[in-house]
Amino acid sequence: MTQSLDVSTSSANGRPAAGRGRRPHLIYLAIGFPPAAKSCAYRMRETANQFRRIGWDVTVVTIAAASWERDSGLDYSLLEQVDPEIKVVELPLAREDLETDVRKFSEERALRPAKWLTSLRKREKRIFPEPVFGSWRGTLERAVLDVHRQHPADLLLASCVPYVNLAAAWKLWETHGVPYAVDFRDGWSVDVVNGGQAFTPDSEAGVWERRILDHCQSLWVVNDPIADHYRERYPHVADRVHVVRNGYDKDSVPMIRPRDPDPEAGLAFGYLGTVNYTTHQLRVVLDAWREARKQEPLLRNARFEIRGHIGAGANREANGLTELIREAAADGVSFGGPVRKAEVAETYGAWDALVLILIGGRYVTSGKVYEYMATGLPIVSVHEVDHDASRVLDGHPLWTGACGLDELRLVDSFRAAARMVVEATDEQRAGVRHHADPFTRETLMQQAVEQLAAHALAAPRDLPVNGAVVHPSDEPSTMDETERAGGVRA
Amino acid sequence: MSDVLLVAGVAPQPGILATAVQRLRETGARVHLVGAVDPDELAEDLRLDGLCALPVDIAKDTPTRVAARQVPGERVWSRIRREPWAREQARTADVLVALDAHAIYTVWRFAQRNRAADARYGIQAAVQALTERKDRPTAGPLQRLANGIPSTTAVKQSVNRLINAAPRAAVNAVTARPIMRSKAGTQLWLTAVKAPKVPDSLRTKVAHQVAKGMAWADRPDGEALILTATASKLRKPTARARMLGEAASRELKAGMPPRDLAGAVNALLKVADQRHRADENGAAADLLNRAMTLAFDRVLHIDQLTSPLAEDPEGFIAPFRRSLAATTVASPRGRRQPAAPPPTDRPLRLLIATSANDNFLKLIRSYYDAHPRVEVRFVDLAANAALKSVTWASKPMLEHRLSADSTPYGEKAEERLRPYLDWADTVFVDWCVAPAALFTMVDPGTTRVIVRLHSYEALSRWPYMVDFSRIDDLVFVANHIRDLTTTLVPYLKGPDAPRMHVLDNAMDLRGFQIDKPADARFQLGMVGISQVAKDPRWAIEVLRLLRERDDRYRMLLVGGDMNPDVSVASREYLEAFNGDVRELEASGAVRRLGATDDVPKMLSDIGVIISSSVREGCHCGLMEGAASGAVPVVRDWPFFAGRPNSARTLYPEGWVIGSPEEAVERILRTTGTEESWRAAGREASTYALREWDWSVVQHHFDRLLLDDPRS
Repeated sequence: MTQSLDVSTSSANGRPAAGRGRRPHLIYLAIGFPPAAKSCAYRMRETANQFRRIGWDVTVVTIAAASWERDSGLDYSLLEQVDPEIKVVELPLAREDLETDVRKFSEERALRPAKWLTSLRKREKRIFPEPVFGSWRGTLERAVLDVHRQHPADLLLASCVPYVNLAAAWKLWETHGVPYAVDFRDGWSVDVVNGGQAFTPDSEAGVWERRILDHCQSLWVVNDPIADHYRERYPHVADRVHVVRNGYDKDSVPMIRPRDPDPEAGLAFGYLGTVNYTTHQLRVVLDAWREARKQEPLLRNARFEIRGHIGAGANREANGLTELIREAAADGVSFGGPVRKAEVAETYGAWDALVLILIGGRYVTSGKVYEYMATGLPIVSVHEVDHDASRVLDGHPLWTGACGLDELRLVDSFRAAARMVVEATDEQRAGVRHHADPFTRETLMQQAVEQLAAHALAAPRDLPVNGAVVHPSDEPSTMDETERAGGVRA
Repeated sequence: MSDVLLVAGVAPQPGILATAVQRLRETGARVHLVGAVDPDELAEDLRLDGLCALPVDIAKDTPTRVAARQVPGERVWSRIRREPWAREQARTADVLVALDAHAIYTVWRFAQRNRAADARYGIQAAVQALTERKDRPTAGPLQRLANGIPSTTAVKQSVNRLINAAPRAAVNAVTARPIMRSKAGTQLWLTAVKAPKVPDSLRTKVAHQVAKGMAWADRPDGEALILTATASKLRKPTARARMLGEAASRELKAGMPPRDLAGAVNALLKVADQRHRADENGAAADLLNRAMTLAFDRVLHIDQLTSPLAEDPEGFIAPFRRSLAATTVASPRGRRQPAAPPPTDRPLRLLIATSANDNFLKLIRSYYDAHPRVEVRFVDLAANAALKSVTWASKPMLEHRLSADSTPYGEKAEERLRPYLDWADTVFVDWCVAPAALFTMVDPGTTRVIVRLHSYEALSRWPYMVDFSRIDDLVFVANHIRDLTTTLVPYLKGPDAPRMHVLDNAMDLRGFQIDKPADARFQLGMVGISQVAKDPRWAIEVLRLLRERDDRYRMLLVGGDMNPDVSVASREYLEAFNGDVRELEASGAVRRLGATDDVPKMLSDIGVIISSSVREGCHCGLMEGAASGAVPVVRDWPFFAGRPNSARTLYPEGWVIGSPEEAVERILRTTGTEESWRAAGREASTYALREWDWSVVQHHFDRLLLDDPRS
């Protein structure tokens, strides 16, 4: 049953009325919360901080910090701006497939790693229809129940990925009627990289998504194309789908005037972000870079520095991408490893122009496009023309435009960016920054969080389902029994 | 400073490898690499402290049937473990690193033995491990020692714990190489595996782990000891028999005669009989097959100077004669119809069958191919996939025999052989091994079946799997081989035995008649030294004694060296032989010419041909040497010496001698002058050509194949 709440809580902006009763409590399933060095960590940090700002108690449920060491790594500087009142529950979960300590391998795994992995994926999917994280279900479910038992929650917000978080949200809803919202970010049933649907409505994942969305308070996604996908697929929840863009952190961009460009000493181009694109894409970029250096006098001594995470598990910083970068060393290309959050501004400050390399198309925005934009530096785009980043950057005066992976046009883009570096006026740079102002993470998240908090506190027991109002204990799901049996297994 | 051992199952990309090594070195580590590496592809700036480069296809290469069944990780391990350098590095490394998925198993295995090392998959993980090691207090000498060699007390405690819980890691902890190599360690484990009140399954599990430890410590004898000791405590007879068999098998695999072969064979036969009585013939066949595989392993009979089978044929074979399962397999089925006589109105349809080895068939085939009264077809059972799969299938064969000749395998064999049998008037099967067993598994109808047994088959399992009641004619190449075979297979002495013939091998000896230069008189020679049974040390002894009298005598050895890996006996023999000839080779008194296709040319320089073997069928090399005009000196082959038939009955009086001293006397006597030498050589050549040349022997074959056997 839903815990009784202080009725004095104001529902206008989600803030509890000062001085009366206990504060509302958010359980935030945020796997990737700082100190995980993941791109989603910024969004999660800001979300949690915003709930704290409006007076909520926040319990973040994530996995043990050590588990990130085998994944994307750790950045403890990310913790510096986490509200100290936020309680973090770290679960002893880790991706078994990324284990690198061979002593922990069974003989079977050591002998047949591929077969072992296939079998692991099958096992995971039997528990929850998500091949990598399915086995976390039980622990997550128990964790939210425990947290709720110790400190009754008024809202659960599940940030996905992993999608198995949804099972925990559902469990708490089913068991105690705690309302939940989902920050889907890039969505689940939409294939953001290739377009189209990732799974059909009648698949196990489809049944799960439908069930979750039927009852969720609010659904956040990062851009309009993804929001449109959900509004079309689930018309009955269309009014609960909200676009909450990633935005950028103000402290990540240099507030000082960009360095004076010096083509003789060498212009500095930079890429900062996870290196998650294909070797083909990187090869095209490097070939274009090489050619541009030949053609463009301004680029003769230019450098191109790639920073961020490459690979995970055993392949971390040792895959085909690092090999390509190494081979391009003679062309001024280098890999400098990950950048701590605290050093992001300094890193941007050392560059003259940025290279925005993104996968996917219209459904992908990425967080870094906002940050790039806010630096005021010229941007070379390496992504599909019909990419959400193009919509964000549209009108940016120091943007070379998107041309897909057309190498010749990329050469022109690099050359154009070089000219922008030396020719851009202070007014232009200021204009760009101004253009980025509405996209600060703080601004975006503040609106979203206040809206969600207000909604959650408005009528926590009466939840809209397909436009109707039902009580969770009366009608926990719109699924029939067969679907339930197939979709939810303990 | 830390030592890192990188293991590559597939060739790493040069750039990635260079970066990896650089990053590891930056932590202050020494970096060594073993595995699939193309040295030509390595980056120029790669700085390794040690490299053991193996072929880049080690994960894919399948040189053996065992390798073909293995997964890539296992193949990589099988290859790398053979490198002493790699084992040594793995033993002392601080961090073991798999560079790719196929290398993981090797690192896992190494890590089982080097418990102090970190074992990681991937470079970043390795760098992290090195960093963490720096933060850990350094292990002092005692700690290091403890990591490698647990104390006896610790071992005892662990053993007690183990025998109750047997977690693999704990077993590994107390099966470190130094322990397994020590007497105390072995004794400890012997006690442990015999501990009372332990379930069979657990005892077996621990025994296998300990045996692995022994294998790692290069102690196959220890493996066998542990397994035998464990077997003695197993409650279930089948498990006991299998483990005894496994113990013997480990020793044989290492090239050593098992310490308790008879115990293992008897145990396996006993349970095979029980299973057969219970009509569980699949299991019975498996157990009988194991018993036969052990009893007739080549390590025991082929790769040694002696053989328990030759020394005491009846005693050795007795357990099989007592076994219900083995006698069921060997029991004669007979044929429903007698073989038809050779046709008179058309050419004889002759099917010649063998499996891969047609060395002694070439002349026969070409002769009958051109013979107007014969139509020949030849089938190599190893070259035909459908036939090959049923030919060497010993276990299904045994099961078929045990199941009253009614199994799907038998139907398959029938289906595949029948067209050949239907066509042929006569089937001539060369070598009395699997093809003979296969052809006698089915009723031949009216087709006449002839099988030729050369020599080694008598020391193999196959005579106990061939149904001699379906063979019409059994051909031997020498009387002493016939005698041995009939001793081993009593059916051959019975009233229903096939007709038996002794026919010399088909050899074109005229091609060996080449004039020898005068100095060939002092040139002794041997053709074929690749098996222990050829006993070239005996010939070297003859040369040594001879040179004490006259140092003009020298020796040529024709043929490849023996393979030291087939048995401990082979390895020890080769080492001793190399020791024997070292000085003689240095002085030019002995020359090893290696393998050659042109034996006649080699023989032209040899004035005295020696047969020093411990056993032979007919020794073609000696016969060819004699035909070339070399003076034959034949040791009285010890396997058969003193029996009614032996080298002495095969060769003319005077050729065969009993000792090196007698050989010296014969050589000095016959080569005393050029005239006497040439006369003795001529005499030998004349004899060889008259008795053994194909122009003579072909008539014997004609009579065998073309005459009506009833007449």
